[in-house]
Amino acid sequence: MLAFLAVAVAWAPSGARAGGEGFGPDDHAPDEGPAYFGFVKDERGAPVRDAKVSASYKTSLTLVTRTNATGGYKVRGFKKEISPSDVVITCAKEGYRQLRVLRRPPPKGKPVLSVETECRLQRE
Amino acid sequence: MPLSCRVRGSHIARLFPIVLAVAASAACAQATILRYGQAASAARSIFSLPVAVAEREGLFRREGLDFRIVIPIPGGSDKMIDALHDDTVDVTHVATPFLVRAALAGSDAVAIAAEFNNPVYSLVARPEIQRIADLKGKLVGLADPAGSITISMRKLLALHGVRESDIRVKILEGTPTRLNCLRRGECAAVPLGQPQDLLAQSEGYRLLGVSNDAVPEFLYTVTAARRSWAAANPDAVVRYVRALAAAFRIIRDPEKRGAVVKIIVETTGVPPAIAERTLALYFEPGRKVLPRQGEIDLAGLAQVIAFMGEAGQIKAPLPAPERFVDLRYLRLAGVR
Repeated sequence: MLAFLAVAVAWAPSGARAGGEGFGPDDHAPDEGPAYFGFVKDERGAPVRDAKVSASYKTSLTLVTRTNATGGYKVRGFKKEISPSDVVITCAKEGYRQLRVLRRPPPKGKPVLSVETECRLQRE
Repeated sequence: MPLSCRVRGSHIARLFPIVLAVAASAACAQATILRYGQAASAARSIFSLPVAVAEREGLFRREGLDFRIVIPIPGGSDKMIDALHDDTVDVTHVATPFLVRAALAGSDAVAIAAEFNNPVYSLVARPEIQRIADLKGKLVGLADPAGSITISMRKLLALHGVRESDIRVKILEGTPTRLNCLRRGECAAVPLGQPQDLLAQSEGYRLLGVSNDAVPEFLYTVTAARRSWAAANPDAVVRYVRALAAAFRIIRDPEKRGAVVKIIVETTGVPPAIAERTLALYFEPGRKVLPRQGEIDLAGLAQVIAFMGEAGQIKAPLPAPERFVDLRYLRLAGVR
């Protein structure tokens, strides 16, 4: 399985923060693929802070982060070779269940630099 | 084991009582998911080697584990024990000072197997820097101040009459990040692990010294789990330890050297010759960089605790290393 993991992980950012703060000059690797970002909201559309967001590639490699105060998150570290369609975003928080995940289609005809996905939670 | 496996196993066992029940058991065992925490900084470094070999050689699969790597973002050595506690991972790679610090703060995390002993960290500088004393007044990229990399570099600098107050310090997590700082020309010198230290030297950067010149042998990284989780899942832990032990045997096997070199190349991105030199360095007499089978060296852990005491991170009386390990899983896996 690591046969693909070895080519799946680009040098992951060390200083990244949920929501995108803290990306410094060290954070980009030439072989890195797009960033995955978005917001986690509740059923009324209010932001959910400190939700756990997982970006999983074929279940065997997962990057995990948490949302900031605005419900925002951002992760990167997958290599360019990884198709965004193979990366699944999920969100979770105690007392909630995942309602739905909505991925914004990337602009056509342009290289994909980032992939926006909104995740909705519902209180249990 | 999942309910579906038990049901399927029973059904098959009714038809063919022994052979197929065993086969079904093995098949079901593959459903045992084990989430392994890996620091972002380790993902493309040599420190992922034991797990990478176990994965690539099918050792986890052979043990019936569905092995999954989870990388917390933001990463950092200090985040790995947190990932155990918030149920992000089941077991995790962690550098020993961070395990000790977390345990002293109340965590029930313990080391269940060793991953790396006695690391070789090279202090590599820009070509115009001739010697360690030349670093006075310059910017040096160091790792987490609480970690053993920085502790060993402080000692190396001190051996050459340089105090930390004599240099400017930038904290940079992970060898690839520190190498980038050196290449950008921002850092005058940085500690690098393998294979990037060898790569940097091949690019003209200068080796000023190695950590082993300044510090005695110590236990560097381990796999840790919460005592409570491990006690509730002993079978998964033993299977993991058994796979890791087999990985170390493969890494040491001269006949498997080509396969191990290939894994280093694919994981770290260095040329095969550099990967070869890395392994040759690790197996130099007296280096003792890699455990034989994941065994935990308590004296090496005691040395880490002593480092932390010297650095003022923990106060006397220093705790015994036994407090931070649980050796039962190594024993059950047949590792002495």
